[in-house]
Amino acid sequence: MDEDVLTTLKILIIGESGVGKSSLLLRFTDDTFDPELAATIGVDFKVKTISVDGNKAKLAIWDTAGQERFRTLTPSYYRGAQGVILVYDVTRRDTFVKLDNWLNELETYCTRNDIVKMLVGNKIDKENREVDRNEGLKFARKHSMLFIEASAKTCDGVQCAFEELVEKIIQTPGLWESESQNKGVKLSNREEGHGGGACGGYCSML
Amino acid sequence: MAADSEPESEVFEITDFTTASEWERFISKIEEVLNDWKLIGISSGKPLEKGVYTTGAWEEKSDEISFADFRFSVTHHYLVQEPGDRDGREEGVEDALPLPMQDLLCMNNDFPPRAHCLVRWYGLREFVVIAPAANNDAVLSESKCNLLLSSVSIALGNTGCQVPLFVQIHQKWRRMYVGECQGPGVRTDFEMVHLRKAPSQYTHLSGLLDVFKSKIGCPLTPLPPVSMAIRLTYVLQDWQQYFWPQQPPDIDALVGGEVGGLEFGKLPFGACEDPISELHLATTWPHLTEGIIVDNDVYSDLDPIQAPQWSVRVRKADNPQCLLGDFLNEFFKLCHRKESTDEILGRSAFEEDGKEVADISHALSKLTEPAPVPIHKLSVTNMVHSAKKKIRKHRGVDESPLNNEVLNTILLNLFSQFKSAPSDSLTYKLALCLCMINFYHGGVKGVAHLWQEFVLEMRYRWENNYLIPGLANGPPDLRCCLLHQKLQMLNCCIERKKARDEGKRGNVSDRSPSGSSGDTGRGADHSGDNLKEADKEVGKSWESWSDSEEEFFECLSDAEDLKGNGQENGKKGGAKEGSRDPVSLKPEGRLHPHGKLTLLHPGEPLYIPITQEPAPMTEDLLEEQSEVLAKLGTSAEGAHLRARMQSACLLSDMESFKAANPGCCLEDFVRWYSPRDYIEEEVVDEKGNVVIKGELSARMKIPSNMWVEAWETAKPVPARRQKRLFDDTREAEKVLHYLAVQKPADLARHLLPCVIHAAVLKVKEEEVLEDISSVKKIIKQIISHSSKVLRFPNPEDKKLEEIIAQIMSVEAIIARARSLKAKFGVEKCENEEEKEDLQRCPCPYATWCILYAHLSNHLFTLTESSDEVTNFVPHFPLIFLSCIELNLSISAMPPLDEELRRSGSAEERRFTAGSVLDFPPPTGREIVLRTTVPSPAPYSKALPQRMYSVLTKEDFRLAGAFSADTTFF
Ligand SMILES: Nc1nc2c(ncn2[C@@H]2O[C@H](COP(=O)(O)OP(=O)(O)O)[C@@H](O)[C@H]2O)c(=O)[nH]1
Ligand SMILES: [Mg+2]
Repeated sequence: MDEDVLTTLKILIIGESGVGKSSLLLRFTDDTFDPELAATIGVDFKVKTISVDGNKAKLAIWDTAGQERFRTLTPSYYRGAQGVILVYDVTRRDTFVKLDNWLNELETYCTRNDIVKMLVGNKIDKENREVDRNEGLKFARKHSMLFIEASAKTCDGVQCAFEELVEKIIQTPGLWESESQNKGVKLSNREEGHGGGACGGYCSML
Repeated sequence: MAADSEPESEVFEITDFTTASEWERFISKIEEVLNDWKLIGISSGKPLEKGVYTTGAWEEKSDEISFADFRFSVTHHYLVQEPGDRDGREEGVEDALPLPMQDLLCMNNDFPPRAHCLVRWYGLREFVVIAPAANNDAVLSESKCNLLLSSVSIALGNTGCQVPLFVQIHQKWRRMYVGECQGPGVRTDFEMVHLRKAPSQYTHLSGLLDVFKSKIGCPLTPLPPVSMAIRLTYVLQDWQQYFWPQQPPDIDALVGGEVGGLEFGKLPFGACEDPISELHLATTWPHLTEGIIVDNDVYSDLDPIQAPQWSVRVRKADNPQCLLGDFLNEFFKLCHRKESTDEILGRSAFEEDGKEVADISHALSKLTEPAPVPIHKLSVTNMVHSAKKKIRKHRGVDESPLNNEVLNTILLNLFSQFKSAPSDSLTYKLALCLCMINFYHGGVKGVAHLWQEFVLEMRYRWENNYLIPGLANGPPDLRCCLLHQKLQMLNCCIERKKARDEGKRGNVSDRSPSGSSGDTGRGADHSGDNLKEADKEVGKSWESWSDSEEEFFECLSDAEDLKGNGQENGKKGGAKEGSRDPVSLKPEGRLHPHGKLTLLHPGEPLYIPITQEPAPMTEDLLEEQSEVLAKLGTSAEGAHLRARMQSACLLSDMESFKAANPGCCLEDFVRWYSPRDYIEEEVVDEKGNVVIKGELSARMKIPSNMWVEAWETAKPVPARRQKRLFDDTREAEKVLHYLAVQKPADLARHLLPCVIHAAVLKVKEEEVLEDISSVKKIIKQIISHSSKVLRFPNPEDKKLEEIIAQIMSVEAIIARARSLKAKFGVEKCENEEEKEDLQRCPCPYATWCILYAHLSNHLFTLTESSDEVTNFVPHFPLIFLSCIELNLSISAMPPLDEELRRSGSAEERRFTAGSVLDFPPPTGREIVLRTTVPSPAPYSKALPQRMYSVLTKEDFRLAGAFSADTTFF
């Protein structure tokens, strides 16, 4: 089973506490919604193998708590992640406003600048929406992120969110393969290195 | 082959039939190759554009053939032409001259700055050369030469190939070629004379004209005029010493033990030898007609000052030795040393417990031995101190280009891109110091020695509560290299220990918790070791998850405190009881009120407690931790255990909160800790008033969830009396051990990012002085390349080498620009006085400087243009660009201006510059003679004739291309 797994991808879910990160993850891995899900302490971890475009990828997904006091340990989980899912709650504007902080932190601690970022507006099943879909879109565009609205409760958009993210990661060269892929930068100054002989028949003067 | 030899006879005598068959095979192989390369048929193409030989791309194709067992290489050299040009090979007009013959007369590409010699001599856009393959002897004997030439002739005839075919004869270095080009009814013979010394009649134009005319043997009178292109080249290569700007580093000063000699934070820079090997001034008369100019053995009109076209060419030294590059390379080499510090220094020398007295004295003598390098004086702290002093001294005065605002913004955060360390940190300085030590002070041994001293110093600081200087406060910065993080970690430990020791010693009553909050620790749950143990200890109680060592965050024996609430609430379930009995509790460990929030029940202000600070973690510890957490798996039990393992800090915070807020409840705690889990709603009460009613979120209300569970377990204990969750003693020892076992090679790998970082800063700083835009671009590339490579652990050697090579190339470019600047010294010519000084200057260069200064309106170009060259004399109002631009400027030159320049000014020039303006004899004298005449008979077709000659001190060469009509003769 594991042999045909193309790669293992490390994915991180971040965002304010209570926006539904753990519920989204549970929906994705176990396809259930548990209203009795406890508030995350520290970080949690789940694994799922999915297949995108015929490629199997094993996802190691880290779910974080989101409370201020738990944040000190999250930076280590940013390291080496290929994808990050940034979640807000469409029924709580404050969780949307805080997105900037999360992006800042991501920028500070993330080891790669080509990490794929996805913005998820969760809880669209609820009625008291405070953040318009367009606002989410705008934010995502501004920060070059993927964007989707979802509901962990009704299952809307959840599968799609993870699949899109993985697809994008796989399409990003150098992000998931061994790094030997990216070639050295070619220098622009043309060095006149004509092989062979003392001057190889080439003379620069006379 | 003599200059006056007759064109080769077609007759070839065959006496040996076995060779004949080899020979035939050889010819057919030539034909095969010509066929394979599709060189058969009529060649056609556009007339050559001006300068295209320089701007266009040249390519070559090679193959190998053999004559018996003698191997030859066959190479097709050609100017890459637009696709359309080549397709026409078959369609050309039948009686048009073959293209190569037309090229002989084209004047658009005379004297190309860099081209194959055959291109230079004959102006050809394509040709094939047959030369002895590598490791095969040169073709020396006349008969063999003739044999080869005949083969070529036959192959061309058989195939109808119109591309000139050359064979290389004599020793390679002589660059002797003979060849042939065939077309329908026409043939051009390429022949050559190469002599060490020119016969006197060939040293001037009139003599050469005579040779040319006699070679043509034209029966017509008068002869059609011969057109001439002449170039005199002056080469300067033995620079005077004082024109080399780079002072070699004063190594003696560096070795002298005076640490100030090592400029801290600065790497050396520049070339140790002149990176410009030659400068050529070419003065050219691109188009003269016979008779306009007199140049014979007694008189010459060829005055370089009067030449209509000037160009300067810079010849770079190949890989000039540069200081920064050397430093980098030497440091990089360290990465491959296998020895441990002990192996290098000898185990006994620094053994700490020193079982044998003899060993100690031996070690001491070893330390005090008058070694060539007084490393003991180079203690890092000393260095850092003196460096700081130096920096302080220089501050304000030192308006280095690095203060440049733009630069700062680019480079300020370079350390996080490179994963090195801030440029004012100890780690960075250590890296540079080791780099210096490695280069100047005994290589790897010096490095090992310094490192050992350094580690001892670190231990000393830990044991004696001295903070390590040059490190930012706070937890390890994960953006920096691991070694930097380790040192920061050690500093955190020292800070903790220091605070604790001072607490023990100090006045008991004067112990405000805020005074030492900075070095509190928290979260044994964060420590990898604890987590590992947890694997086996699944069923443990809450308490057991914290540090087993009974050391408190702050050692206190305040009896009153203990009586206050600690004991009472120490019993099981104490927290709940406590909250119902607020009166008996005295609040402790308050940080500050949490806004205007009040406790739900007593209505007291809600206080944020002083908490144990997060445990400092280095990235390797964090990695370990996440591994352990991941290993717990994804089952419900695994998840539960994972949460429990990470809950020690939650518990500790709850305890602090309870201590600070007597009578509080979980709701109060949640409002501070996870406010979104306290849901407030406006409701209308019985009396009809709108009141805000709050409750815990659903997930917090789940019975026996871990938050509730922890809350019930938590005793009201202020942070300072809690068990310490971060064991600084153990962590410090771990760091010290880690440091001690690093080999010089490990060290070099740890610190290489810092050294590269420093090198980039250095290069950038130097670039700013010169303002070379291509270098700016390369530096940008280096930065982005390096940040890609260095951000990941264990970058490949190949990539590191690439980065170093890039840095070296920039260093060489800047060094060259400086060399040029110094040589031209044009800035010095701004006022008259200095100009005169310059004229008195004995340097042969003065001549040129003055020329440049005075003839600035001369049509003046730099071939092989590049920023480094064009930038050095910014105030020249001239076009310093490539040949194309030269051509543009020629055509754009208004005739009036031309007139002005020519008339009257020459005298003035001579006058101003005085005698220094006398040109030395040219280093090279090149003349191209061309004409179109019928040959061999008056009624033959008129065909291109060309002769190129070059005369230098060492040799003389005539390269003739003489065409003849093969039908009408
Ligand atoms: N209606 C609704 N509630 C949700 C949804 N996702 C999560 N929740 C609820 O929001 C609360 C917080 O969810 P949780 O997944 O624990 O959030 P986290 O702190 O970000 O991990 C829980 O009570 C969930 O039941 C959703 O899509 N719709
Ligand atoms: Mg959660």
